Amino acid sequence: MITSVLTQFVALARSAGLNFGFLIESYERGVWLHGIVVTLELSGLAAIASLAAGLALALAATSPRRWLSGAARALIGLTRNTPTLVQLYCAFLVLNSLINDAIGGAQHNPLTPFAWVLIVIAIHIGAFHAESLRAGLEAVPKPTLEAAAALGFGPRPTLLLIRLPLALRTALPSLTNNMINLIKLTSIGSAIAVGEVTYASIMIWSQHDNVVELMILILALFSGLNMLVDRLGRRIETWLGTPGYGL
Amino acid sequence: MASESLLLPALPVPARRWARSSALVAAGLAATAILLVEIPARPQALPLLLHWAPYLLRAFLLNILISLTAVGLGSLGGLAVAVARLLPVWPLRWLAGAFVAVFRNAPLLALVFAASFALPYQIRLGATELPFPDWMKVTVALALPASAQIAEILRGAIQSIPTAQWEAASAFGFSRIQAMRWIILPQCLRRTLPPWMNLYSTITMGTSLASLAGVEDLLHAATNASQAVHRTDFTIAVFPAVLLCFFLYCHPIDRLTRRLERHLTLQPRDQTP
Repeated sequence: MITSVLTQFVALARSAGLNFGFLIESYERGVWLHGIVVTLELSGLAAIASLAAGLALALAATSPRRWLSGAARALIGLTRNTPTLVQLYCAFLVLNSLINDAIGGAQHNPLTPFAWVLIVIAIHIGAFHAESLRAGLEAVPKPTLEAAAALGFGPRPTLLLIRLPLALRTALPSLTNNMINLIKLTSIGSAIAVGEVTYASIMIWSQHDNVVELMILILALFSGLNMLVDRLGRRIETWLGTPGYGL
Repeated sequence: MASESLLLPALPVPARRWARSSALVAAGLAATAILLVEIPARPQALPLLLHWAPYLLRAFLLNILISLTAVGLGSLGGLAVAVARLLPVWPLRWLAGAFVAVFRNAPLLALVFAASFALPYQIRLGATELPFPDWMKVTVALALPASAQIAEILRGAIQSIPTAQWEAASAFGFSRIQAMRWIILPQCLRRTLPPWMNLYSTITMGTSLASLAGVEDLLHAATNASQAVHRTDFTIAVFPAVLLCFFLYCHPIDRLTRRLERHLTLQPRDQTP
């Protein structure tokens, strides 16, 4: 059923001068679909890891301890102002080989290229999350915090139960935006041979010279994913919306 | 004495700002230094890095050339798309909207690869054939999303001008186009400066993707150098040096952008007489 639909689609596209032939070759289709799966895995895991990194960096950057906030701000500044690809090279070609040297050979190294892409993207987007969350933390009105103190909340409960939940709501639109950038960023995995969808597409178009056709599919895929994230973000915004507070 | 004590309270703000910026730069240096920790054991890496520095810096100039050209083209294209989205001709409006939607969603790297594979290596202009080198293809690939982004920035800015200004302009006898040219756009451009600079920074960082399309940019040069020297200590030094190059170029732009943003939000926004 699916194969017949695909065959019809490929024939139709061919009559329009587009070569989607790889969709009916089971091996190439498999490679390409696996690429989509890897992209989804990488996006999902990096999204979770970037939120954790962002939260940690935001809390560190707003910490009253000077050295901690200084270090966090420096890391955020460094990450935001350097290309992710260069960060990936620094991680994969420099840190990774240092680790290899330290533990005696690449065969003992548990960190795969996939893991490195995940780490680099999580920290890069985490720095952007941290900036959004920091703005949110600083936007919580002082009277709210004073009221919390008057009700007997200590510094930590105030942060966790009052300041952070409010900051999260203020930061949500820009967090969603960062997530969309995160999904787009997963394509740099192809630079170190992580078989995500861009890498799989290059494999196919260097065989068949059908760049335009694959670009249409890639653009459709990423547009779809980004729209989904955008919708989800808006839904969470309305779901978390606090009457009378900002939104 | 009295004047001194009067002057003192003014100091902390710029001092703190200076401290923060120097802390950031110091952190950039420190991060590089941490990675250079391996070098003291093998001190030849630093002279080697200095030896390769002219080659690397010349390659970085190509990054800057690509970024300036891409943002220049992208700004012109973005202005055209933004105007097309405001025109009362629906097919144009729809096309411009689709252009923005598609290219804002596209991953930069996919565009760079696609451009380097799909665009021809020379362009025939009448009888003459102009070469179309790889770096120009990458420039086009970066200019497309830049123009989509700029169209979006301009749309936001135009919408942020209160309708009352359009009405006031027409009351003064301005046509729509005249009002756009003399009243709305001048105010928009001031507001779009910070996001525009942000975009420039993003595109500059995006130029490092050119190395994957075979362009001899800084990252490609660093890879070449590390393969030519073929020493672990040099490899460990050269990639952080690339990182530092980009940081030293993009960080001042980031700081200037933030200062401009603060400056613009401090000013009274809509002065309607």
